[in-house]
Amino acid sequence: MTNDRLPISEIWVYLSGNPLFALVLTLAAYQFAFMLYVKSNRHPIVNPVGVTVLIVTVGITLIDMPYKQYFEGAQFIHFLLGTATVALAVPIYRGCNDLKGKLLPITLALTIGSIVSVASAVLIATYMGAGDNIVGSMYAKSVTAPIAMGIAERIHVSPTLTAVFAVATGMIGSILAPYIMNAIRLKPWWMRGTAIGVGAHGLGITRAFSINDEAGMYASMAMGMNGVLSAVLLPTILNFMRT
Amino acid sequence: MIDGLVQLFIWQGLGELVSQFLLPNIPGPVLGLLFLFGYLHIKGHVNEPLAVVADSFRQHLGLLFVPASVGVVLFLPDLQTHALAVATALVVSVVLTIAVTGLVLKIFWKATHHDE
Repeated sequence: MTNDRLPISEIWVYLSGNPLFALVLTLAAYQFAFMLYVKSNRHPIVNPVGVTVLIVTVGITLIDMPYKQYFEGAQFIHFLLGTATVALAVPIYRGCNDLKGKLLPITLALTIGSIVSVASAVLIATYMGAGDNIVGSMYAKSVTAPIAMGIAERIHVSPTLTAVFAVATGMIGSILAPYIMNAIRLKPWWMRGTAIGVGAHGLGITRAFSINDEAGMYASMAMGMNGVLSAVLLPTILNFMRT
Repeated sequence: MIDGLVQLFIWQGLGELVSQFLLPNIPGPVLGLLFLFGYLHIKGHVNEPLAVVADSFRQHLGLLFVPASVGVVLFLPDLQTHALAVATALVVSVVLTIAVTGLVLKIFWKATHHDE
């Protein structure tokens, strides 16, 4: 009867070919990373996305799983990005009730802010000799990752690199933001929230909510408005410039 | 909860359709966001199931971009070669963005609200 049992290697072949493996790896890694994050009192440097990406990357490299095969399983998580983007309408709507008289300054500030963001990143990367791939992915990096990837597809640059840069921007931004805002003496919570929402999108919002609710709400709204504005304008301007 | 997800999927689907056939420059989910925003504006309130799903998405938004970010493995050699350029571009751009956004807000607000 012993030859009825599957040899261990065959079990492995079956497991790693199954989409469930990538799903479990991703979710378990995230749960572990999130636990670390909570234990560190939500310090931005222990960012759960960064830690999860690190664990999964090392994991699939160790077992020699090609990225394509990993993504076949993980695409079920990836798909929900679009849905999560739609859900951003809710915080934006909630923020609007409180907005009276602030809409104009916020729109002005985030328009100028995102122009500075795109221009500085693209110019520095170009000037320092980074390749086309990298420079292209700098365009949408200061928009929240789900929208950024949609923009990347529209302007024909790598959605992957764009997502990586977007996550990195969020991490850097949420670590540095308090120092920058103190340096320019920005005090009102709604202004601090708006600035961090434009500069550090999703992770900035998490950070803002952990400090002050009003800041968190304005951060969500600024991130959403910035995302929508960039999604509408960036592809149109870039495609126009290229023709 | 299912109720809230269905609402989101419907708006997302509508956004994808419009993006596909009318406005190819704008990502479908962004259009879905705008439609849902318009709907909420008309309705005047956020219904409970939708609020529950939207809040849990917001809380774990990060998980959703893990699959795409893991794709960084494909670009590691390229990123290593240009590590300094990438790091400088990201850090300087973040600092400038936050500082400029904050300053514009502050200056514009002061200019229009002398009394405060």
